[in-house]
Amino acid sequence: MKKIGLLFILFICVGNYSCERDDICPEATATTPRLIIDFLDTGDPDTKKNVFDIVVKGVDNDDFLEDYYFTTTNNLLLPLKTTANTTEYIIIKEAEVDDNGTPDDSSDDTIIGNQDRIIINYSRENVFVSRACGYKTIFKNVTLTIVDDGDNWMLSREPLTDNQSVEDETTTHFNISH
Amino acid sequence: MKQQHTLTFRISSIIGMLLFCVFVNAQNDSIVDTTDESSKIKLKYGLRIGGDIGKLIRTSFDDDYTGFEVMADYRLKEKLYIAGELGFEEKNTVNDYLNITTKGSYIKGGIDYNMYQNWLNMDNMIYAGFRVGASTFSHDLNSFTVYSTNQYWTPQFTSNTKQEFTGLTAFWAEIILGLKAEILNNLYLGLNVQLKFSATQTEPNNFENVYIPGFGKTYDSSSIGAGYSYFLTYRIPLYKKVK
Repeated sequence: MKKIGLLFILFICVGNYSCERDDICPEATATTPRLIIDFLDTGDPDTKKNVFDIVVKGVDNDDFLEDYYFTTTNNLLLPLKTTANTTEYIIIKEAEVDDNGTPDDSSDDTIIGNQDRIIINYSRENVFVSRACGYKTIFKNVTLTIVDDGDNWMLSREPLTDNQSVEDETTTHFNISH
Repeated sequence: MKQQHTLTFRISSIIGMLLFCVFVNAQNDSIVDTTDESSKIKLKYGLRIGGDIGKLIRTSFDDDYTGFEVMADYRLKEKLYIAGELGFEEKNTVNDYLNITTKGSYIKGGIDYNMYQNWLNMDNMIYAGFRVGASTFSHDLNSFTVYSTNQYWTPQFTSNTKQEFTGLTAFWAEIILGLKAEILNNLYLGLNVQLKFSATQTEPNNFENVYIPGFGKTYDSSSIGAGYSYFLTYRIPLYKKVK
């Protein structure tokens, strides 16, 4: 009878394990994709061209996009809002910090440079991934508009396909010439 | 040194177990011999019905679980039983991104084979069983939050509109290992573990069967499931037959 009691305890332990591989979303799993933009040379539209000291900030977001803060790059990975059908970014080329005459005080610093604003419109669809990752959002009918401010450094934009969608991060979605 | 001690202990306990086995067998044999000479053993035949007490206990302790199962077996031969289970389960699967309620009922049918050589007048079982199972169930996706590795725009979209995935079915096969001990006359306490192999299931559109009543939790990586059961059964004795 004692042995049976032990068996009972063993079975309870076996039966109630709860955390295993399926409960953690693996990093390699493709979840909500970001929008991929390549910067092309307007004189030679087949080659990529770097943008120096780029700074990217979402409109209505207090933070700068971490990956692009005074970096030099020829492509952008922009996260899109999963809560709205529009995401707007301000992208600054050749940004500089204006310390407002007080080099020791960073609180009144502003970032200056040629600011261009882009508006990305899309429709959203939620697709089931797995029990651990839940749903991801994919974006359909994506359009990208460069707001004309009279002094654009972005000259034109081109979706890679008609009716551009953003379903994964394997290929570029838009080209921007500058 | 410690390791060596452990090893010695293990070896000696294994030897001990082997000796014990032989000893028990020997005892059994001698008893069978004597009974053959004196009186014939009469085996009880009848319908044994019961309920799963493990699921009842879990229902009272686990807020995310409600379930019950009734079971029956009927002795066909000395060691062979026909057996089946009928049950329902309601289970919440909740993590950071999903909140799902699965509801449904299931039926299982198959055989149990007693591998235990009983002593005189005893009627216990250590058994292996085989079942086929079927379940009809539904999922309520109560809420979900979109998963995104990038958290620049927070929070991510959350849906609180309940979505229902109904009319789902699943079929599986399972093997069972368990024991039943007669604790009072005709009253049995038992437990078993079940290993299940999924055969077919309705795949819901843009969703996944995260839990199947009767089958239990499903796994993305394989079609194998597991379960356990603690139960109390009572045998309605119908007749006795000489062994």
